Amino acid sequence: RPPSPLVRCRLTQVRWSRYNPSFIEPEVNKELYQKPWEELSEEEKKKLELKAVQPIKAAPPSLSSSVFSDPMVSKFTNMMMKGGNKVLARSLMSQTLEAIKRKQLEKYHKAPEDEKETIECNPYVIFHQALKNCQPIIGLSSITKGGKTYQVPVPLKDNRKRFLAMKWLITECRENKNRRMLMPEKLSLELLQAFNNEGPIIKKKHMLHKMAEANRAYAHFRWW
Amino acid sequence: MPVLTLSKQVLASIDVTVCVLPSQAKHSEHHEGRHYSIPLEEVKAVFPHGLPSRFQQQIKTFNEACLMVRKPALELFTYLKSSNFAHPAVRYVIYGEKGTGKTMTLCHVVHYCARQGWLVLHIPDAHLWVKNCKELMKSSYKEERLDQPLQASVWLKNFKASNERFLKEIKTQKTYVWGKQESTEEGRPLGEVVEQGLARTRNASDAVGVVLKELKQQCQRGSFRLLVAVDGVNALWGRTTLKREDKSPVSPGELTLVYNLRKLMMNNWNGGAIVTTLSQTGSLFKPRSAYLPQELLGKVSHGLPPPSFTMGNRNPGWGTASGHGGRVCFSLSSHNIL
Repeated sequence: RPPSPLVRCRLTQVRWSRYNPSFIEPEVNKELYQKPWEELSEEEKKKLELKAVQPIKAAPPSLSSSVFSDPMVSKFTNMMMKGGNKVLARSLMSQTLEAIKRKQLEKYHKAPEDEKETIECNPYVIFHQALKNCQPIIGLSSITKGGKTYQVPVPLKDNRKRFLAMKWLITECRENKNRRMLMPEKLSLELLQAFNNEGPIIKKKHMLHKMAEANRAYAHFRWW
Repeated sequence: MPVLTLSKQVLASIDVTVCVLPSQAKHSEHHEGRHYSIPLEEVKAVFPHGLPSRFQQQIKTFNEACLMVRKPALELFTYLKSSNFAHPAVRYVIYGEKGTGKTMTLCHVVHYCARQGWLVLHIPDAHLWVKNCKELMKSSYKEERLDQPLQASVWLKNFKASNERFLKEIKTQKTYVWGKQESTEEGRPLGEVVEQGLARTRNASDAVGVVLKELKQQCQRGSFRLLVAVDGVNALWGRTTLKREDKSPVSPGELTLVYNLRKLMMNNWNGGAIVTTLSQTGSLFKPRSAYLPQELLGKVSHGLPPPSFTMGNRNPGWGTASGHGGRVCFSLSSHNIL
């Protein structure tokens, strides 16, 4: 029996399509392909053999094998993006990194000889370290027991920690800035402060830790 | 300047490697593509107002001013070295698309001439004189013309900073009366005219006119060489966005500053050279894609040689440095960026 017209047009929608479970994720790591056959471990050999037979999903446009691409930076850019304007978000990100580099270089040139080695000039290193410093270790979750909701301290997953750090950074830069200050300038300021373990976002993290410490009594409400 | 694309490797390394080149006068073809650095004190002395803002940011970040030696600049140097100063001044026009380095080439030439001891008349951006003027006054000297006190005083301040010693040596040849009690007699150093313009902003534009006239007259005697460097020369012959009180539009010829500068742009004086740049970036009422002399200068460019896109395509007939009042064009394309 031919499918009804409505079903036929639904089948060609790309946006909500789901891959068959047999499809494999694309492998972007160049070093893996450059290794000779003998050096591969058992699982890697099995995977390569499977690739010859099974179909592979299409790689998303944000996935790249370039040395300059950084998954953290791409994630942060996506979170900064508004209304799908990736071009603007990416340019803001690159301007932020440029601003960090310029500030650190000026500090480097003014510093005396013995302090020059301690100054970190690589903006990617600063970005990663700042985000790491902003990640909370323990979070709060609302659990309803006996009609009342309690804020229960709960260990956070890695993904959730990274998300919270990035979210706090972006909301802080969007709300607490001078009207005339642009996003790259404010972001670079916040990132440098977070790198040195000071600033409003580190404070927010400490507040969360304190709240979790204060609600220690309810920790046994957690069942997972 | 092409936009800095910062790569991971560049960011990881800190210093910019710089070749220490022999003094500028000895720059030749095999130095093409290498950088030379200008000491920061000289930058402040020679360029109080000439460098583009992105380059100034680079100077601040890296604590050094490094310019790349490029072919068009080297060509201009050979022309300037071999030019006959008894002939009328040759007008050089540097043109090219956006971001190819016209302003930087002009700055290189200005620095070269300053090192050689020329008097440099550097107008950083002629477009600033034909737009966004807050105070437009009627000129006290001629009724139809309009004065721009703010722009004129800013330019006078920077001119004074870059050419201190010339202002003491050059003397005025006429008496200039500024008001009921103020006047500058004949034989006083030109620095006094500049002081007068800075002290009384009402007379600033007229002071600029006096300075330009004196320099043009005295250059022909041969005691000093004059380099007129104008960035964005297409502003002098375009349209302005300025309006009088009765909302009638102002043409550039009715502004004192532009009128006096146009007189310098004529090739009826000798003993120096005129190097100019065309610029679409600050220009008014010109489309973004326009960069050729015909498009940006309009009627004034009649008689200019056809644009050449590669440096080799020069007709030897027109505009060499022996100057028949010729105009020489230099094109900067993205191929010239090394």
